[in-house]
Amino acid sequence: MTHDRLKQFDAFLIPILAVISGLLVSVVLVLLTKTSPIEAYRILFVAGFGCNDLTHCALFTTLERATPLILTGLSAVVAFRSGMFSIGQEGQYLLGAVVAAWLGYAIQLPPVIHPIFIMTMSMLAGAAYGWVPGVLRVKLGVNELLVTIVLNAIAVLFAEYMVQFPLRSDPGATAHSPIIDLTAQLPTFLPGSKWGVGFILAVLAAYIVYVYLWRSTPGYEQRMAGQSKRFALFGGIPSDQAAIRAMLISGALAGLAGSIEILGVHRRIMQAFSVGLGFDGLSVAILGQTHPLGVVIVAILFAGVRLGAQLGLQLEAQIPRELGGTMIGLIILFVALRKFYEGNIERTRNWLGRFFNRGQSRPE
Amino acid sequence: MALALEMTGITKYFASTDVKANDKVDFAVEAGEVHALVGENGAGKTTLMSILYGLVKPDSGEIKVDGKPVVITRPDDAIRNGIGMVHQHFKLVPSFTVAQSILLGMEPNRAGFLTPNEENRAVAELAERHGLPVDPKARIRDLPVGMQQRVEILKVLERNARILVLDEPTAVLTPQEVAELMRVVRNLSKAGYTVVFITHKLLEVVRVADRVSVMRAGRNAGSKAVAETTVPELARMMVGREVLLKVNKAPRQAGEVVFAADDVSVTDVRGFPAVTRVSFNVRAGEILGIAGVSGNGQTELVEAITGMRALDGGRLVINTKDATTLSVRERRERGLAHIPEDRIHVGLNLDTNLDENLIVSRYRLGQFNRAGFLNRRSMRDFAADVIKRFSVAAAVPGGGISRLSGGNMQKIVIGRELAGEPSFIVANQPTRGLDVGSIEFVHRSLVEARDRGAGILLVSVELEEILALSDRVLVMYRGQIQGEVDPATATEEQIGLLMAGAHPEPASAAGPAA
Ligand SMILES: Nc1ncnc2c1ncn2[C@@H]1O[C@H](COP(=O)(O)OP(=O)(O)OP(=O)(O)O)[C@@H](O)[C@H]1O
Ligand SMILES: [Mg+2]
Repeated sequence: MTHDRLKQFDAFLIPILAVISGLLVSVVLVLLTKTSPIEAYRILFVAGFGCNDLTHCALFTTLERATPLILTGLSAVVAFRSGMFSIGQEGQYLLGAVVAAWLGYAIQLPPVIHPIFIMTMSMLAGAAYGWVPGVLRVKLGVNELLVTIVLNAIAVLFAEYMVQFPLRSDPGATAHSPIIDLTAQLPTFLPGSKWGVGFILAVLAAYIVYVYLWRSTPGYEQRMAGQSKRFALFGGIPSDQAAIRAMLISGALAGLAGSIEILGVHRRIMQAFSVGLGFDGLSVAILGQTHPLGVVIVAILFAGVRLGAQLGLQLEAQIPRELGGTMIGLIILFVALRKFYEGNIERTRNWLGRFFNRGQSRPE
Repeated sequence: MALALEMTGITKYFASTDVKANDKVDFAVEAGEVHALVGENGAGKTTLMSILYGLVKPDSGEIKVDGKPVVITRPDDAIRNGIGMVHQHFKLVPSFTVAQSILLGMEPNRAGFLTPNEENRAVAELAERHGLPVDPKARIRDLPVGMQQRVEILKVLERNARILVLDEPTAVLTPQEVAELMRVVRNLSKAGYTVVFITHKLLEVVRVADRVSVMRAGRNAGSKAVAETTVPELARMMVGREVLLKVNKAPRQAGEVVFAADDVSVTDVRGFPAVTRVSFNVRAGEILGIAGVSGNGQTELVEAITGMRALDGGRLVINTKDATTLSVRERRERGLAHIPEDRIHVGLNLDTNLDENLIVSRYRLGQFNRAGFLNRRSMRDFAADVIKRFSVAAAVPGGGISRLSGGNMQKIVIGRELAGEPSFIVANQPTRGLDVGSIEFVHRSLVEARDRGAGILLVSVELEEILALSDRVLVMYRGQIQGEVDPATATEEQIGLLMAGAHPEPASAAGPAA
C-alpha cells in the first residue's frame, strides 16, 4: 500500500525533476553571458509571472499566451490517450484560424452569437482535418503520424495562400486579412493584455476533456483501445470508431485554439501566422503527462518562461531571448530522458518504503 | 552424499512490490541429484534461482558451491562456479543457427575465430557427447520449442556448468517433448550433473526428481525425498491446505446445441491456412475438449469462434442464430464468454485498474452506463463482488492489477467471464502457468458453469486437463479434427497418437455423435 501511495507522486515528480534539471543546466548557459544566474532567474520570473498592478501584469499576458497551448495540448492528449500518434495539431490549428479570420468579417451576426458560430465552424474545420488521418488509419492502415505531417505542410501553404490572396485586405502592406467585426471579438478582462474569455474556455475544455476521457463510456472506449488494441478487440470495444472519434475531437480542440487566437488576440490573420503553436501543444502534452491538469499547468509554465525570456532576459539583462526556448528545450529533453530518473525514483521509493515499513513492525 | 549447492538465510525484499520474495530461505542440493523446486505462483522460486545465478542481489544470505563459500554478483560469477540456468523464456536470437547460438560469446580458441564449419563440428561433437542430437546448421526460428530448449541446455553445458537450473522447462512443451526432456534430465543426472528443476506439475516431480523442496510465500516449507512423499502431500505443502486434485463432476446432462461450427476454415496471421473445414457442436451442460499439440490451429479456431478473426469459409451458430459475421460485441450479447489463452495481453489491460478491466464486455449495460457516463459506484460494487466470489487475494476495487500473480489475474478473467451466466464459454489454455491451488479453482469454476447448463469449449494442450474435465474430446492435428474419443475410456497413448497425426482406428473412433 505504501508503495501505491508513493507511486502516485511519480506523475508530478517527473515534470518537477525535469524542470529543475533543465533550469540547472541552463545555469551554465547563463554563466556564459556573465550574468549572475540567480539574478537572471529572478528577472525571468518577474517578467514572466510578476504583477505590479492590474494593468501591468505579466501573469495576465502569460495566461493569454497559455490559452492556445492548453488547447493544442489537450488536442494531443485526446489523440495520444486513444492510441493515435497524431501530430496534426498545427494544421488543424491553422485551418481553425483561417476559418475564424474569414467568418469574422465575411458574415454579420449579433454579438455573442457571432463568436459562438465562428468557433463552432473552426472546430468543425479542425475536426474534418483530423478525420482524414483517422479514416486513412482505420480503413487503409496508413500511419497517422506520416499523414498528419503531410497535412500540416499542406495547411501551412493553404493558410499562406489565403492570407496572400483571397483574404488579403490591403495589397500594399505586408499581407493580412481585414480586422474582424466587433461583434465577433472575444472580450478581454483588463486593459494591458488580451487575457480574456478564451482562457476560460480553454480551462473549461480541460475539465470537459478530463470528464469525457475518464468518466464517460465513449472516453472509456478510447482509452482502452489506446492502451491495448487486443484487449479492446477481445472485449468487443469498437476500436475503429473510437480512433476516428479521437481524431475528430482532437482536431476540434486544435481548431478551437486557432479560432480563439484570432477572435481574442490578433483579430485578423497575417503572413507567417504559423509560429509552431501546434507543435508546442505536443511538448505541453508530453511534459504534462498527457493529463488535462498537467497540460494546463505546463502550458502556463511554458508561456511564462517564454515571456520572461523575451521581456526580462532580453530587455533587462541583455541575454538573448532564445535562452527561454533553450530552457524549454532542455526541460523537454529531460522529460524524454525520464529513464534517467526512474532509477533514482525507484531507489528513493525503496528507501522510503523501507523507512515506513520499519515503523510498522512487519511480522517476521 | 556431498552437497553440490547450499544456500542459507537468503532474504530478498522487493520494495517496488512490497513483497518479501525470499524470507530466510535455506536450500541445499546434493551432488548428482535432480532436485525439484515447487510452489505456488509468486512463492519466490524464480527469485531464489535468480539470486543463485547473479541476476538478483539478495539482501542477505550465503551461497556455498561444493562446500566452498562463493560470492555471486553477476551471471559471470555463477558460470565460473559451474552454475548454468535455462530461463522459462528462452533468450535465443531467432535468425542465428544452432551452432552460433551455442557458441555465442564464448572465448575464441587459439586460432582466433572459428569458421562456420569448425563451429558446426564443435557443436555436433558437444551434442553427441551429451546424447542431445541437434542440427548445428538449423536456424533457431525454424525449430520447435522443445529443440530450442535443447539448444539452451547445450549452451549451458558448453560453458562447463555442473549445476543446471531449469525454470519451468515443461510449461511450453508438448507431452512428447516433456517425456524426451525427462529422459535428458535423468541422463544428465546419471552423468554426474546436478539439476534444479522448477515446475508446477507435481506428477513431473514424481517422474523425474530425487528430492523436492516446496516453497510457500517466500519460505522453504520443507525438503523431502521424492520416494517418501506423495502428490497430495506436496500439494498440501504448497498451498497450505487440502487440494482436490481430481475433478468431481456429475454425469453429463447435455441439452440443446448452444454452438455449432460448420465447415469452418481460417487462415493465420501470415495468410496460411490454419484451420481447414472443421465441424462440431457444443451442447448445453457439456464440456467439449479440444486436445492437440499447440500450433495445430487451436488459436485460430478460438479466435474465429470468438469474433477476433474473420472466417475464410463455413458457418458459426451461437444459440441457434447465425453468428458467422457478427462482431465480438454481438456474439457476447448472444451469450458468448471467452477465457483467452493470453491473459496478460488479451484478457486483461494491465495499464488500467481492476474496475475498468471487469466491465470491458458490459460497460454498455444500464448497470454501468448512466446516459453515457460510467457509473463508478456500481463498477466498484461489481469489483468487490468478483473479488469476494472468486476470492481474488490481494486485489482491491479500484486498484491496479499489473503486480498480481498469474493465478489471481486468471481469477479476475474468469470472474468477469462467468458473471452474467453466459450460455457458451470458450476457454483456451485456462490453467497455463498456474499452480495447483489455482488450477483446482479454475477447474471447479468451469464444472460449476457446466452444471448450471452452460456449454463449454475447452481447448488445452494439457492432456490431463482435457481428460479430467471433458465430456467429449476432439483431437486437432494440422488444422483438422483428427478424431473423437471418449474421455472415460480413452488412454493417453491413444490420444497422443491422434495428436501426432495417426489415423483413428475405426472401432474406437465412434464417439457419441452430436
Ligand atoms: N524484479 C522484481 N521486482 C519486484 N517484485 C518482484 C520482482 N521479481 C519478483 N517479484 C515479486 O516477488 C514474488 C516472487 O516472485 P517469483 O517470480 O520468484 O515467484 P515464482 O515462485 O517464480 O512464481 P511463478 O510460479 O509464477 O513463476 C512475487 O510476488 C513477485 O511479484
Ligand atoms: Mg517463476
